[in-house]
Amino acid sequence: MEAERAGRGRRRWSRYPSRTFYLFVSPWVLGFALLTALPLGYALLVSFTNFNGRNSRWRWVGLRNYTELVRDADVIASLVRTLAYTAITVPLMVGGGLGLAVLLNRRLKAVGLFRTIFFLPSVVPVVAMAIMWKLIFNRDAGILNAILERVSVGPTAWLVDPNAFYALIILTLWGLGGGMVIMLAALQGVPAELEEAAVVDGASRWHVFRHVTVPMISPVIFFQVVTGIIASFQIVIQPLLLAESNQVGSVALVPQSTHLYMVQVYEEFFNNNRYGYGSAMLWVFFVVILAITLVVLRSSRLWVHYQVDSEGER
Amino acid sequence: MTIVRDPARPAIKPASPAPARRPRRRANAVGTYLLLMTLAVLFAGPFAWLVLAALKTKTEWVTIPAKILPEDPQWGNFTQALTEINFTAYLGNSLFLSFLYAVLVTFSSAAVGFGFARLRGRGKRPLFMVLLSTMMLPQILTLIPTYVLFARVGLVNTYWPWVLWGLAASPYLVFLFRQFFAAIPAELEDAAVIDGCGYGRIFLQIFLPLSRPVLVTSFLLSFTWIWGDYIAPALFLDPDHTTLSVAISAFYRDPHGNPDTTLQAAAATLYVVPVLVIFLFAQRYFIRGVLSSGVKG
Repeated sequence: MEAERAGRGRRRWSRYPSRTFYLFVSPWVLGFALLTALPLGYALLVSFTNFNGRNSRWRWVGLRNYTELVRDADVIASLVRTLAYTAITVPLMVGGGLGLAVLLNRRLKAVGLFRTIFFLPSVVPVVAMAIMWKLIFNRDAGILNAILERVSVGPTAWLVDPNAFYALIILTLWGLGGGMVIMLAALQGVPAELEEAAVVDGASRWHVFRHVTVPMISPVIFFQVVTGIIASFQIVIQPLLLAESNQVGSVALVPQSTHLYMVQVYEEFFNNNRYGYGSAMLWVFFVVILAITLVVLRSSRLWVHYQVDSEGER
Repeated sequence: MTIVRDPARPAIKPASPAPARRPRRRANAVGTYLLLMTLAVLFAGPFAWLVLAALKTKTEWVTIPAKILPEDPQWGNFTQALTEINFTAYLGNSLFLSFLYAVLVTFSSAAVGFGFARLRGRGKRPLFMVLLSTMMLPQILTLIPTYVLFARVGLVNTYWPWVLWGLAASPYLVFLFRQFFAAIPAELEDAAVIDGCGYGRIFLQIFLPLSRPVLVTSFLLSFTWIWGDYIAPALFLDPDHTTLSVAISAFYRDPHGNPDTTLQAAAATLYVVPVLVIFLFAQRYFIRGVLSSGVKG
């Protein structure tokens, strides 16, 4: 629709290309203002109140929510769990993705088939993913315990404390094919001459990988690590769905060990109706994400080169 | 983004093939295949177990020790899964929302991507930086306050949030289109401008048709986002108006309120198979989408 208008007043618009530009990007600018900036600003406002979601008589409480949450043992514990989850999954995801990519970056038969099989889980909707893994982890009927029984390990309850944490990690790792595809593309972007030259100079395959290949794809690895960290911090649906629940979106039965930071936020909002407190938690989270993002944007200039910018800028 | 190549590094001499490694290489290949096959079983296993569970009777499912194969495959579980809950209604909601969002967001993202790739404007660079940063922003962060806000203005339990999200363009898809449009030679557009063609028509009649592969990628990705989304419908929609993802996760219950696992597995199979089929036929589009997020280039 904005395109049509631009077309009608074409002479005037082309003399003021700035306006045409704004016309075209306006959907995103408005969307950003209304659906990102406004909710975030609203959450900031609410974070200074005791709003409970229903009652309109909310009161300004200043920084009380923030001072409470830094002392809240539940919040701290959930944060520690989230950090542990991140520290375990991110290296495994990135390393696993790279490992699979290296395996598949050779001339092997049926390489495409393997790539498809490894990539497939990363497009499975989260609800289906949770159902599938609950079937596997099921204490009595699950296949994991059936297999473990063959090697005479007694039935293990995977979806309760403390094992639920590992179950969550396994579910996450199942989706590492997305990272693999990215790594594969990065590996294929490494000029073959470079690696071959190193081989000619007498370097072992490991040395070539470590000192030629990895540095060449380091921007991609770096980017994967950063997005991986952000993705792990926001995990909430997986713990919710892995838990036995009796209603949509209930956190009541989420085991302690998978009660991560965002699960805690979710609980404050939708179980405890503490919108103010939950908003404060969201903002703490936002500042952390913002800090990570800024560091990335700054450092990406050192790592990375935008090739298309000059063309786009014409 | 492309990897920075050190210009100071001397040109590399053409490599001669490394000899004397043949036998070891063959043994390596066998080892690699064994490893790949083991991994393939691990990655494909959950799909197989889902289908097997969907084919078992209720008593068979709870039998200890667990049996791998169902004695008498219960294909009826699939038809029962369709009638046990109002499957078709939820399916309709899922299809409607996914289609609506995918169409809107693809078009709006294409327009915004065109703006960033082809047009000049004050503050374009900082705006683009903001756009890139929002790609990093976790969805859940804005979703919860959006829910609180929308609840206050009566937009909860309507499909309007999806319309708004669709119209607002997705930073990720904007980036996808922007990269594509930026790589198109300028002559095309210059000729059109000389002929007196406005930017609206240049976009609709020249750039949009050219970007068909990106349009397909964008549509498929955004469609599967909504199809697979759980948290937004769980928050924004009542059980009667919700999507298949929420319905499957919680609505399969036996009369005692316990999960009806075999029917749920059957329903989950019906829910996930379309995604897998689309994926298998359009794999390259998905890969294009994933790549633009990770390598950007």
